Amino acid sequence: MPILLVEDDHDLASGLQQALQMKGFAVNHVATGNAALAAIEAEAPEIMILDIGLPDISGLTVLKRLRAGHPELPVLLLTARTSIDDKVAGLDSGADDYLAKPFEMEELLARLRVLQRRLGSIKSSYINIDTISLDTITQEVRVEGNSIELSRREYMLLKALMENAGRVQTREALETKLYAWGEEVSSNAIEVHIHNLRKKLIPNFIKTIRGVGYVVGQ
Amino acid sequence: MKSIRTFLVIVLLATMTLIIFLSALRGYRSSMQQTELVFDEELHDLVDLLDEFPSVTVTPNNTQRPGNPDSTIAFQIWDNGELSQRSANAPATPFGPFLPGYRENNFGGHRWRTLARRSVRSDRWIFVAEHVDNRFRVAEEVILEAVTPIIFGLPVAGLLIWIIVGYSMRPLDLLARELSTKAGDDLTPLREDQTPAELTQVIHSTNDLLSRLEASFERERRFAADAAHELRTPISVLKVHLHNLAHELSPDDPNIAHLKNGIDRMNHLVEQILLLHRTAPDQFMANFIALDLHTLAQEVISQLYPEFAAKDQHIELVGSSSQMIGDRFALKTLLQNLLGNAKKYTPQGGQILITVQPNSQGVSLKVEDSGPGIPPDEYDRVFERFHRVGGDRHASSQPGCGLGLAIVQHIAELHQAQITLGSSSIENGLLICVEFPAPNSQTDSDHV
Repeated sequence: MPILLVEDDHDLASGLQQALQMKGFAVNHVATGNAALAAIEAEAPEIMILDIGLPDISGLTVLKRLRAGHPELPVLLLTARTSIDDKVAGLDSGADDYLAKPFEMEELLARLRVLQRRLGSIKSSYINIDTISLDTITQEVRVEGNSIELSRREYMLLKALMENAGRVQTREALETKLYAWGEEVSSNAIEVHIHNLRKKLIPNFIKTIRGVGYVVGQ
Repeated sequence: MKSIRTFLVIVLLATMTLIIFLSALRGYRSSMQQTELVFDEELHDLVDLLDEFPSVTVTPNNTQRPGNPDSTIAFQIWDNGELSQRSANAPATPFGPFLPGYRENNFGGHRWRTLARRSVRSDRWIFVAEHVDNRFRVAEEVILEAVTPIIFGLPVAGLLIWIIVGYSMRPLDLLARELSTKAGDDLTPLREDQTPAELTQVIHSTNDLLSRLEASFERERRFAADAAHELRTPISVLKVHLHNLAHELSPDDPNIAHLKNGIDRMNHLVEQILLLHRTAPDQFMANFIALDLHTLAQEVISQLYPEFAAKDQHIELVGSSSQMIGDRFALKTLLQNLLGNAKKYTPQGGQILITVQPNSQGVSLKVEDSGPGIPPDEYDRVFERFHRVGGDRHASSQPGCGLGLAIVQHIAELHQAQITLGSSSIENGLLICVEFPAPNSQTDSDHV
């Protein structure tokens, strides 16, 4: 998959290029905003990684100009600034995601995977964690290879947890995913669903973080 | 010099006294001359008058005229070399030699001013005399009359000078008060309106100094933040190349692990320095909004959960919804630092308990852990920048830079919150308690 990397720091750019190539991306690197705009006109990449602090024109300006002709191109902004205002400015200019330096390479790769998924370039519909497998198309859930029966809400709950594996989901967040706005929700509805789900899954698959929410392993 | 005011009063009074004394001396002299002239004129007239007296037959025993023997004026008339008449206080011998003119002689126990003259018409000598004291007395009286009111006026003049000097020094007083009431970090220039010309230069120089001071403070403040900021890109470079290197060698290579540890520590330090500067009370542009600290704690715990899970630590949040007014970014940073510390110092499989609940004074946040805790005599020092309990060789062998709690304290100050340390209920680990005041008392103190 072709990626356009716009970064004026050559040490960083060469490292990124190497890391991305190892993951099978075809990386085209340019160091200035004008070169980036020219490269997009020559051959549009599928994903763009754009540094905000460029020597000629700001990355935000590049973003605004290219949005005129390429409204769909996924853009991941890189910046050395982390204040909320900068983040808002970046997303307002049409960035799809925002990563602050210094970042972990794994984090960058994860963000790229999200953008790829949005492009539809990842076809898999399975989420596998531990011995549990969830098919987001057929809505089938298997535990150690055996299909199990789940109610609609139990399935939605499990899907929400598995899609965010490793990240704690608060009770409030789960409620908004399971119930429409304004729908009557009893105060312990989520607890009841979790209780029922646990009986059908392997022990300790869903962990409770008391006072916070629930999480499934990574 | 203790006080300009006292100095001016003393110096001005002394100058006035000296000038008055000198002019009195001069006045005394000139009034002496004046009285001399007047009195001499009188003597002259008196001689003219006596010259008109008829010659009286000399009766040697009765030359003396009746009169007051203590009179300050005396005379003798000598006709043809014989004393023919004399005043009651005059001696029988001539006052002085038979030579015309003014003279001073002594007789009858007094000093006299005498005038001798030979009559133009006959062989007659006329002597008149007057006490010299008279002249001195008159001159003294004249000068005393003139000087006495001035002497009594001096204290009044002193008082007036004291008041006037005080009044004219008021701008100086005001300036001193303005400077002394200035807060330590207030480097705004002084007001230049309504100041007398003499002080304008002082205020100009002070303002100039203040602005240079502010500029250098600002430079100092910005330096660390800018330096930290500039380090972010090179750290990214290190991280990315380390990632590639780990792929080429083996992720488990001990060299890679050491390198990663070093880079992580540097990264942590840089981020903490940036946070420290960003949350410094004189820097922070706080955006106070109504929020629920309990929900915020949930968010931060969820966000940090992978780190707790990695150490197999049991984390728990108790309490209830806690509405307060605060800055979201700052409070999140506070929670992140407190939880980060708890995670760091709590051993593998330990416990961390967070309590967020409203109380009568506002909202209280407690973070308790089952770590080693801190000895009470270190409580004050942990908030110092770069202080680490037990020094760098901390028993937990955890990397850190010692800025975390300094940042927490900045943020607590922003919210007028009180931080107390203590011993936790779980295995005597550390308890950190942050008490946020209720919104109305918070805004009250904002207005003070």
